[in-house]
Amino acid sequence: MTVKDKSVNAWQTGILLFILLFANKILVLPSLLYDGAKVEAFFIPIILFSLELGVLFLFYKVKTKFPTQSFAEIVKNHFGKVVTYVIFILIMVFFICKAVLLYNITYIFFRNLIYKEANNILFLFCFLPVINHLAISGLRVMGRTAQLFFPVIVVITLFCIVVGFFGIESMPLFFESSFSDVMLTALRHISSFGDVLVLFVFMDKIQIKKGQWKILFSLAGSAMIVVTIITVVFIFSYTYTSFMHPYALFEIMSYVKEYGGLGRIDIISMILIIIYTYFHLAIYLKAFMASFSVVFRKIDEIYSVLTFNFLFLIFINFLVLNLEKAVFYGEDILPFFSVISFIIVPVVCLVLLCFKHRKKRGD
Amino acid sequence: MEVKKEIDKFKKQLHNSIDVTSREMAKNDVYVGFVYLKSITDNLIFSTAIYDPILKFQGDLTFDNLSQIIKCNDVSVVKEDDVISKILKGSVIILLSNSEEFLAIDILKFNMRTPSEPPTSPVIMGPREGFTEDLKTNITLIRRRFCSQQLVFEQAMVGEETQTQVVLAYLNDVADKKIVKEIKNKLSKIKIDGIVDSYYLLSLLSNRPNSLLKQIGNSEKPDIVAAKMLEGRVAVIVDNSPIVLTIPFVFLEDLQNSNDYYTNYIYSGFLRVIRLIGLLIAVVGPGTYIALQLFHYNVLPIKYLITIADATQQVPFTPFIEILFISLLFQILYEVSLRLPSYLGLATSIVGALILGDTGVKAGLISPPSVIVVAIAKIALYTVPEQSAQINVLQFIFLIIGASLGLLGLIGGTIYFLAYANSIENYGAPYLAPFSPFILSDNKDGILKVPLSDMKNRPRFFKNSNKDRMNDSER
Repeated sequence: MTVKDKSVNAWQTGILLFILLFANKILVLPSLLYDGAKVEAFFIPIILFSLELGVLFLFYKVKTKFPTQSFAEIVKNHFGKVVTYVIFILIMVFFICKAVLLYNITYIFFRNLIYKEANNILFLFCFLPVINHLAISGLRVMGRTAQLFFPVIVVITLFCIVVGFFGIESMPLFFESSFSDVMLTALRHISSFGDVLVLFVFMDKIQIKKGQWKILFSLAGSAMIVVTIITVVFIFSYTYTSFMHPYALFEIMSYVKEYGGLGRIDIISMILIIIYTYFHLAIYLKAFMASFSVVFRKIDEIYSVLTFNFLFLIFINFLVLNLEKAVFYGEDILPFFSVISFIIVPVVCLVLLCFKHRKKRGD
Repeated sequence: MEVKKEIDKFKKQLHNSIDVTSREMAKNDVYVGFVYLKSITDNLIFSTAIYDPILKFQGDLTFDNLSQIIKCNDVSVVKEDDVISKILKGSVIILLSNSEEFLAIDILKFNMRTPSEPPTSPVIMGPREGFTEDLKTNITLIRRRFCSQQLVFEQAMVGEETQTQVVLAYLNDVADKKIVKEIKNKLSKIKIDGIVDSYYLLSLLSNRPNSLLKQIGNSEKPDIVAAKMLEGRVAVIVDNSPIVLTIPFVFLEDLQNSNDYYTNYIYSGFLRVIRLIGLLIAVVGPGTYIALQLFHYNVLPIKYLITIADATQQVPFTPFIEILFISLLFQILYEVSLRLPSYLGLATSIVGALILGDTGVKAGLISPPSVIVVAIAKIALYTVPEQSAQINVLQFIFLIIGASLGLLGLIGGTIYFLAYANSIENYGAPYLAPFSPFILSDNKDGILKVPLSDMKNRPRFFKNSNKDRMNDSER
């Protein structure tokens, strides 16, 4: 058994999930949420993360019920091949779309701020070899590498939040927007959430012992709280001009640019965003590969990587690469694909769990 | 047996080398012959303990009688097939005309240096002795540290031409049997003409021999090897080499230093943090400088930017060429200083530091910030001297990445490299353990260090037969 084929433990799963829960949420999203729901925008992460926690709970239940089986096997046994293929094709599409959105936002961010003369090729040269290597190396290697970066990520994230608090000068006015505004904005940006879905894709590779579930829930909960705090700090720092500042975490830091003797500290947030983006993209690719192997079982793993790369290049070159297009893509197209993470998979899980109850009654 | 004829036959098999020596004598109608290599045998012992007693002996010349009168310990009767290998290993062979067998007496001797402080691992505190090229001395240096019946030395022969003795040393009740077996298997499968030094075995015993990363531990100090054996590792001692290999190996071992265990534990932890920072500077320092100068100058505070702009405006080369040039210059000087006789070393330093460095800056060919960055990075290389070769290569790789892809590339390169390191497992030990996978108990001797009294267990990141090092009652 090589390192590649081995499973990940509760800590590594938790750390990967912690990192993933930041995806697409710390740059453009807070600004867009403010645009739609004003100060009440910070309710949106709370609402959507609550849903995501519900999906995580369903994962816990299903994993406990079927500890060694993969999600594909379980679905296939209970719903048949066709349903399995439909679900996993949707998962593949969902993850590649999220990867494209993430890449675009990161590209726009870095190109506007620190890579003024760089083109898309430079970014692809950076991202593709690293994410391909991480994904091909396997989930365990990815988990271990994430584990190595975790202290750095936590320290920088907390530092950003602490520094961000210094930027809050006054409290904004609440209740400017209605409940329906909040809910509609949440619905428009639902595609930025739903990353817990990856756990279902890697289900058989995740090994969590009985007492270790709290690690996973704690790390996921911490990430959700931190993302919500980042949104709150950003909105409270920029208040009525929040919609004009599209790069939340960076903007928080640049609001307090000169801090003591440290000089410019906004570069710290850039380092954090880079680390997050590499891992996010790698996890999306790995999830795509796992789904691909379910749909095309006889095709070698390397073809799934090639397919991802091919589709990724096509999407980013023909669809987006500027902020307006990325926002349109994220708000108007991607939410439809979130059906898979917030409706289809949870419904499948509920049905699977109901099977158990019926069996028990029968007994 | 015709003694004269047999002696000629052996000499012919040894191609009549000049150090093949033979003697003959006749006593009571029995011919006695002696064959040995005078270059690797003790001539005094031969004449006083073997030749003289036989010459004075008045009884029947049989192997049984000879074994009694010869004043040596290592005496054995051998068949004709084994004669040549015995001669080559420093034995004198005795032939009797009334016997078809041969008597081999081990009188191997050659000049060896005495154990001294190894130049690669100088110490401030702690033992100053180091391994030598003599296998027996090295075994003694280890044996002296263990008064235990559990200490095992097992021998293997590697190399078709050299027939080099390779000895595995381990503690039977601590080392994992599977690891010992795996090493033995690998040694038995090695088909090579010769092993000249233990470094030959490095790639042959590694799981990923093509890797840039060092995968087998090595040390010249018996106290370090003994400490590693106490943790459950297996030592591989190779004849004619002062470097002893230890298996399994993880990166953390090179971050540790023997001095850490002979000084205050808080200070040791502090030093390890410094080493880690040094390592980071050495790997990504020049690359980061280039990346900031070429791509991200707008994130630099304005004061630093003005200073750098002032210093570099006269330089005709791009920052990358400039840094690459200084790095290559340093590397050339380093190579030259290694190979030059010591009396020329000072001259090289003067030429390198003063003439090339100082004049280069004054002539405007290189800028002072670049010289400082490269100098710091090159000095930082030696905060972890055992890894300096790998770090040096990585420094150049990250320099190119920084110059071509900027900060994004540098962080991507770091993730790529760490993922690669994480994919390596040697004899069941993850390369970056105990950091990833994170093992709390093993981090007691990780970046930070706790007092020895709190290190009650052996490392958990590789298999060993006994996890407990210390009982509470023994504190």
